[in-house]
Amino acid sequence: MISSTFVSGKGPWYDFDPRAKLILIVLLCVEVFLPVPLWGIYLLFALAFVSLSHAVGIHMAFSPFKAIGLIIVIMIIFIPFTHRTGTPFLTLGTTVIATRDSLLQFATHTGRFLTITYLTTLFVWTTRMNDILLTFRWFSLPYSAALVITLTFRFIPFIAETFTRIQEAHSLRQSEHSQSKGWNALSDILPTISCTLIFALKSIPHLAMSLEHRGFGSSVKRSNYRSLPKGASLFTHLVICGMIATTFALLIVL
Amino acid sequence: MEKNENRIALKVALIAILTALTTVFTIVVRVPTPIKGYISLCDVVIVFSAYLFGPWTALITGGLGTAIADIIGGYSQWAPFSFLIHGLQGAVIGLIAKKASKSGVVSDASLPSVFGAGLLGTIIMVGGYFLVGGLFYGFKPALTEIPLNLIQAIVGVVLGIAVTKTVRKAYPPVRFLTW
Repeated sequence: MISSTFVSGKGPWYDFDPRAKLILIVLLCVEVFLPVPLWGIYLLFALAFVSLSHAVGIHMAFSPFKAIGLIIVIMIIFIPFTHRTGTPFLTLGTTVIATRDSLLQFATHTGRFLTITYLTTLFVWTTRMNDILLTFRWFSLPYSAALVITLTFRFIPFIAETFTRIQEAHSLRQSEHSQSKGWNALSDILPTISCTLIFALKSIPHLAMSLEHRGFGSSVKRSNYRSLPKGASLFTHLVICGMIATTFALLIVL
Repeated sequence: MEKNENRIALKVALIAILTALTTVFTIVVRVPTPIKGYISLCDVVIVFSAYLFGPWTALITGGLGTAIADIIGGYSQWAPFSFLIHGLQGAVIGLIAKKASKSGVVSDASLPSVFGAGLLGTIIMVGGYFLVGGLFYGFKPALTEIPLNLIQAIVGVVLGIAVTKTVRKAYPPVRFLTW
């Protein structure tokens, strides 16, 4: 199981300082909920989509859209049930299918959801996990919390593989043609879950001992394998992020 | 000083492993449902963490584990909200179980009190995702997620309690991992 979220590619988003990038993404995600004109939301979505396409290729850029496609279909199904009173826009005989207000609400919600999805995906795909952690450390995340996250990512593939092996071992106890569903699936999976949990819990004392032997909790100041750049480049990137967020915020005033 | 250092290393190791378990149980461990969907078993680990290790462990492992699962699974827009919702769910279940326990040890709480705590956790989880779904794509479309979330949460509570009792019997040293 691959637990890395970074997608290698090209473009300015990979060189942008991750701290400024995170501030920009958060600001823009908040600003889409302010009273921004609809064309402003879709302009931001278009920019996010083009940026992602330039970074990872157009084929991969459609992946977030596929992930949320079902939700958008459900939103379309619910259009006739929202804002029943108002100027009719789409009618079938005497039945009002959609009003202007319901279509406007659908367009606004869809634009916001797509924009937030693509902005967060852009951040996660163009920033290495090490840099994301260093960014949170720069924002005062405690060292022990960053260590927990690092260890979690280290153990995810190990526990996933353990679960798969235990599940295959337990399936040998069942007949070849049995297909568990519903309640049977739950009762069949109980031994597998219990074994996986016990296997994982048994590794905790060893991990704790390893941390102690590597000086965790020591009073000696730790060194960093890697750090984020300091100085002029961070200031420049923060200024750029402030300009982008301010430009989008001015759309509210217009 | 030495005792505190040992406990810090144990805390970090415990939380890291439980968080990884929560993430794996969200992404990898899925049970097919009759309505052609899947439910994940992250709530099993959250209830397990709350019942065995207390509210603060469940808060961190439940919140962080599901947030990491959302990021890895391509749903990073949900990550901050999953952190809050599942973290609160785990914390509430652990707090109620701890209050209900006469000895003060969470895992000694009676079964009715743990089920009651699980029910409240279910309400928090389902209600939280409904509110966030309403914010993202409207409250009426968000109603469609309630049945699946309810099934997932209830299955998580029932299986979580069953798994906790099984693990306590099968692996007694788990009691010494608490903090």
